[in-house]
Amino acid sequence: MRAYVSAFRMRWKMEAQYRGAVIGGFVCQMLFGLILVGLYRALYFSKPQPFPFGQVSTYVWLQQAFFRMLLASDGDLLDKIRTGSIAYDLCRPVHLYTYYYVRVMAQKLLGSLMRAAPMLVFAALLPPGWGLLPPAGPGAFLTALLGLLLGLLCVCALENITMACTMRTLDSRGMQAMMNLLMMVLSGNVLPLTLYPDSWQRVITALPYAQLLDAPIRLYTGQWLLSDAPRILLRQGAWALALIAAGRFFWHRNQKRLIVQGG
Amino acid sequence: MDTVKLYLRSMKMLLRSQMQYPASFLMQTLAQLVMEGGEFLAVILIVDRFESLNQWTAGNLFFFFGLMSVTFYLTECFGRGVTGAFPGMVRSGQLDTLLLRPRGVLTQVLCSAIDPRRITCIAVGVAALVIGCQMSPVHWTLLKALAFAESVLFGCMMLLGLFLIESVLCIHSVKSVELVNALTYGGRSACQYPIDIFPRPLRALFTMVAPFALVLHVPAAYILDKPLYGWPGFAAFLCPLSGAAVFGVMYLVFQRAMRFYRSTGS
Repeated sequence: MRAYVSAFRMRWKMEAQYRGAVIGGFVCQMLFGLILVGLYRALYFSKPQPFPFGQVSTYVWLQQAFFRMLLASDGDLLDKIRTGSIAYDLCRPVHLYTYYYVRVMAQKLLGSLMRAAPMLVFAALLPPGWGLLPPAGPGAFLTALLGLLLGLLCVCALENITMACTMRTLDSRGMQAMMNLLMMVLSGNVLPLTLYPDSWQRVITALPYAQLLDAPIRLYTGQWLLSDAPRILLRQGAWALALIAAGRFFWHRNQKRLIVQGG
Repeated sequence: MDTVKLYLRSMKMLLRSQMQYPASFLMQTLAQLVMEGGEFLAVILIVDRFESLNQWTAGNLFFFFGLMSVTFYLTECFGRGVTGAFPGMVRSGQLDTLLLRPRGVLTQVLCSAIDPRRITCIAVGVAALVIGCQMSPVHWTLLKALAFAESVLFGCMMLLGLFLIESVLCIHSVKSVELVNALTYGGRSACQYPIDIFPRPLRALFTMVAPFALVLHVPAAYILDKPLYGWPGFAAFLCPLSGAAVFGVMYLVFQRAMRFYRSTGS
């Protein structure tokens, strides 16, 4: 257990080094957020929707703030697979899946927290109708936090499944790009899932991608009532367990037939 | 003419080398399709829910989206040297070798990379344009075709110019180059939609600083018979020239910056 904690802490410290990138990314994400809110405002102006606009702008800002949670991935591991130095990791007295799971978790958690904090402050200061609304209530806030944590577990598990595919093909770029893009579309980053057709909602919110950010955001804005919260959190938890189980299975199978690249 | 021949030859060479790994190439091309398809899906779903956007109908919105993707990804495909490869060249010192050869640096940079994977993105853009034209509907005339060609051509030049900012910053080794992405990729996401729906600060940014609106939206609105801000028809032919202006200015800045270039060594 201590080994995993220190792997997590090492990765955490490393991610904290990239403060310059955070500032550049911050301005970029800000502008993207403003563009999206501007677009949805114009759309709402042409044809109002049954739910208030504040929910949409809040959705956009929370998605932008935690964007890094979706996309950060462990570049070291990719290099190791390509060059064959993964062989050293096989010698370590740790469970390989868990080892990389906590590493990527540290990266995603700190990466998104560093970006989310200034962005959420900025978004909360924007004029009404543009910015971030406060949570629907203290209960909504707490369940949203819990949901975000479960979402983090899911996204790390998904990341490791992508990695498992990488181990088999070596050239990861195509596979990774595909998985990431699927994630952006289906997790509500490109278009809020709340704006997808109403007839799709049942299916799309049940997919694993909706558990990452969509579920906590809907809990935060109160679109999902507090009485629904246990069901939502249970679904997230179930997906997290299923994805971790699937990832471990793939990693275990890969480890048996792993070909170490050398030279 | 010699330069064009050189460019075409390099493109052919690079294409052949990329085709050496067909499986990887296919996979990455497919990934691009998912990306641009996802963006297009977002527009379709928006149209499904909201039906129209101010005076712009669904067909108009598809047309604007298509024009943007075709222009943007043509630039990324054929201008890969500037849009993607340049920072790496500076970092690795590969740029030094270009200084020794009897050709312009920018020509050689452009000749050094191509990104054929973008072909699927361009295809999605073309599909959006065709659907947009069918639905709007667009009555094509010779003048409109001319405005369209001008828009795409100068759009590519403008984008090259904007990406050159990043290259210049790279030469001066300024950190946080991501800031420039705000102009290029930000402009792409914003100007997939007609500019007049955005509030004034965003409109100013994408008209005056990065003239996406002048280069793409004024001609597009003319083609759709809904002139932007009620501007007269000749504006559709004059405004895109601003794209050439952006490129021209950035070309001069780039040449100046090259004088300050210091190799990273080894």
